[in-house]
Amino acid sequence: MPNLTTIISVAGASFAASFVEAVEALTIVLAVGLARGWRPALTGAGAALAALAVIVVSLGPLLGAVPLHALQFVVGVLLLLFGLRWLRKAILRAVGVIALHDEDAAFARETRGLTEAQQRRSREFDWIAGVTAFKAVLVEGIEVVFIVIAVGAARGLLVFASAGALAACVAVAAVGAAIHRPLARVPENALKFAVGVMLSAFGLFWTGESLGVGWPGGDAAILAFIALFLAVALALVALLKPRAAALA
Amino acid sequence: MIGAVVKQLFGLFVDDELLAAIILSVVALVSALALSGVVPGWLVGLLLTLALPAALVASVLRSARRGTRSG
Repeated sequence: MPNLTTIISVAGASFAASFVEAVEALTIVLAVGLARGWRPALTGAGAALAALAVIVVSLGPLLGAVPLHALQFVVGVLLLLFGLRWLRKAILRAVGVIALHDEDAAFARETRGLTEAQQRRSREFDWIAGVTAFKAVLVEGIEVVFIVIAVGAARGLLVFASAGALAACVAVAAVGAAIHRPLARVPENALKFAVGVMLSAFGLFWTGESLGVGWPGGDAAILAFIALFLAVALALVALLKPRAAALA
Repeated sequence: MIGAVVKQLFGLFVDDELLAAIILSVVALVSALALSGVVPGWLVGLLLTLALPAALVASVLRSARRGTRSG
């Protein structure tokens, strides 16, 4: 039986990562809704959620058929690729080498593009708007499904990972429905930084475990790996920020 | 649209090709060592623990050098 630390780590990582993905999907759906109407936006988003449900229901049972070590290895490697990629980008954004992700700018860009397309094709059925919302929700939703599987499947904690992701999606949808604006004040880079650290730590832990490494302290080693990646990432920010500022 | 979705999904895992290549090389090398049984488990763990953060450092420093040079 996994301990409380593991359960909280899994649910927390799933919540934070899914929160970021949900914010990105919400930005596009809001842009579609405000620029082209709520019918294509909600139809597209609903169709994507239905497609996601089909994917999960049809592929989910296959997870049980995969040997645990093979699953841990594949998930571990994918988590390393995914987590270290997020962490790298978050570090580069934190030091100013690449621009921060701006939900307001993404919202304005998407709205402008859709409004221009509407002016050109005002009499056509709104497939463009529907497909835009569909694609955004499908892609971000697949990322959420991957995150849930990646952090939950290798330890049999899919329920806790799913609960974390569901809570994040519900929270973002509720806030988005209430304010009808993109969630631009969410500290997205700080979230991505934290998620990158956690996913990289999970990836290292499960890759090692699948190769027969008996980590000291068992599941508690995940906390040590979180501390390790956090220390490395913060050291890189501390090293590079003054240099980037001097060159700016 | 399917192509765009597939491209975006691929982009989830591979952004900096060097980082992805180092991660996969490290995992392949360590897996080969572990499966052949020539190194003990603790050394496999130590190699992973040292090599993966080092891969991150190499990728970030390279990107920062390029970014600040072009900026």
